[in-house]
Amino acid sequence: MRPCNNCEFRPDLYYDAEYQIWVRIEEGGLLSLGMTDISQTRAGRILHVRVRRPGSRRPKGKPVATVETGKWAGPVPNPFDCTIEAANEAVLAAPGRINRDPYGEWIARVRPEQGLAQAVAGLRTGPEAEAGFCARCRDDGIECRRMDA
Amino acid sequence: MSAPARDDRYVDHDAKKVVIVMTSGPSSPGRCATPFFMGALLASMDADVTIFFTMEGVRLVQNGVAENLTAMEGGKRIIDFMRDAKTAGVKFHACRPALPGYDIEPVNLIAEVDEVSSGGALADMILSSDKVLFF
Repeated sequence: MRPCNNCEFRPDLYYDAEYQIWVRIEEGGLLSLGMTDISQTRAGRILHVRVRRPGSRRPKGKPVATVETGKWAGPVPNPFDCTIEAANEAVLAAPGRINRDPYGEWIARVRPEQGLAQAVAGLRTGPEAEAGFCARCRDDGIECRRMDA
Repeated sequence: MSAPARDDRYVDHDAKKVVIVMTSGPSSPGRCATPFFMGALLASMDADVTIFFTMEGVRLVQNGVAENLTAMEGGKRIIDFMRDAKTAGVKFHACRPALPGYDIEPVNLIAEVDEVSSGGALADMILSSDKVLFF
């Protein structure tokens, strides 16, 4: 049993204010984005993931990908101005991988337009992020669970 | 020479303006979930989406109706489909001329409604949109 309503938190990652997505710094000035345990749980069994075509410029706030389940559809939001570098082909082929391992499966890899430091400056990380993450789980009554594809 | 096959793994559309005219209501609950699912999906693909509730559709934005309605027995509530669409960026307009026919006062609309609009506003939206869908 994980401490925050069974939702896994990774302190080494960066998060948006609502803990919908995680961001990881990669080599070569890139960032990976994926769905948090909260998001994959709320979405349910993920049936389709589509990423904006590599090379697309995505202003802050414009989605980098769309996700569909049987009863929910929504964006993977983008917290910074960036260009899509790559999609995770394994996730496009088998979207349920996100339900099994949300932090092990990135969705899009992007290059921030203003550099890494500025891109993650507005995100949350570490103990402060963990407190906010757990508060979101508690306040919204989110009990995380993992699903087989 | 044939056109290259579209790679539907990627989203590759220009931004579009879409109006969904929602005329269905509680008398046909099976028609009341998919329009919001489609609205959420279109909005997450960069479309500027407005759902315009008119005819019996205005019942869905009346307080207490969508909260107690499901498309299928035991299924997800219609209000939750509507909230998913709002979260994705869809705007809700309620048709002012349709409200009296269902004894609905504007003050009794759900908080998710962005505007109460005229029939002329709908006509403007239709004429200025890239796509119009009727449900």
